[in-house]
Amino acid sequence: MTDGNESEPRVFTVETRFQKLARQPGGISREKAIENATAKIEEIKPTFDDWVGTELESLSTLIKTVQAGSAQPDWIEAANLHSRQIRDAGTTMGSELLTFIASSFCEVLDAIEAGAECNMESITCHLDAMFLARQRRYHGMKPADVPELTKGLRRVVEVVSTTPN
Amino acid sequence: MSRPTINLRDLVVLIADPSPYLSMIAHSILRGFGTNKVLEVRNSMGVVQTLSAQKIDILLCDARLPPHGGLSLTKAIRRKVDNENRMIPILVMSNDTRETTIRQARDAGANMVIAKPMSPASLYDRLAWIALTPRQFVDAPTYFGPDRRFKIEGYPGGVGRRKGDHIVDVAKEEGPSLAQDDIDNLFSAARFGKD
Repeated sequence: MTDGNESEPRVFTVETRFQKLARQPGGISREKAIENATAKIEEIKPTFDDWVGTELESLSTLIKTVQAGSAQPDWIEAANLHSRQIRDAGTTMGSELLTFIASSFCEVLDAIEAGAECNMESITCHLDAMFLARQRRYHGMKPADVPELTKGLRRVVEVVSTTPN
Repeated sequence: MSRPTINLRDLVVLIADPSPYLSMIAHSILRGFGTNKVLEVRNSMGVVQTLSAQKIDILLCDARLPPHGGLSLTKAIRRKVDNENRMIPILVMSNDTRETTIRQARDAGANMVIAKPMSPASLYDRLAWIALTPRQFVDAPTYFGPDRRFKIEGYPGGVGRRKGDHIVDVAKEEGPSLAQDDIDNLFSAARFGKD
């Protein structure tokens, strides 16, 4: 506690409204909460495929402008935005594979942004992999289920990350 | 002994995420937990406006929230002396769980970091931790926020120390001890609930 010196840290106890209300009786157990939340996620899962499709189409259009040399200077940030969203939603919505590929793609984009060579093949192969992972037969698959694909993408990331511009 | 529960029914939760879809996922999970009132905003301005317009009980904030990021916003909320929401629990959502990011979130005044993609279990555990494991606040010239010196040894009602875990005998101290910073580094992952 403070001893009167203003530069001394003051340590004090706080009870927020969140804590007060959350500790009230009638709460939900961990098991029940997870069960209910999982059911809620199942309700919105049908929207996931369309959403990913829209994100991938936006990415595809963006990459085409890069290939044509007409992209905006901030195209990497725009591509990263789409890729991050797919990565952050994938596993929760049941597609761990999409999260893995999108995460790998983010690494490629980060490396390019940090000065690595802009290798278009490394970009298009990730995009193709995401389109592939979106197909029905890949639903529910984990990265370990497609070792050739995952190893190949890891190799691409390694090469891009170690190739200066 | 019954496991602890948390009652989120009457809480007002604010989700600040630039992505409407990711925001919807978090919203759905919270609904599953029984939360009735969940608000969503897409940027820092939305957070500031919402906080000044109504009572918010907890903020779930994306680390990349435009325009300056969730950590800057967290710092701004904590540092503003006349801000009545200064002590609101803040849970930073981030896909970057590197040591440096976790440390930055802690130093900004976040209560905890949750990794994206988030699962219902990871969100519940962090909410339960904040609710059931109160931490003191520290008001220092360079920091305002929850006490940064804490360690997680399992979430309330969640997976933590297991029944079969053995207590390990530790050898007598020999030579100089580690500096506190080194100890903090060693335990930082556990301290921030990094899965």
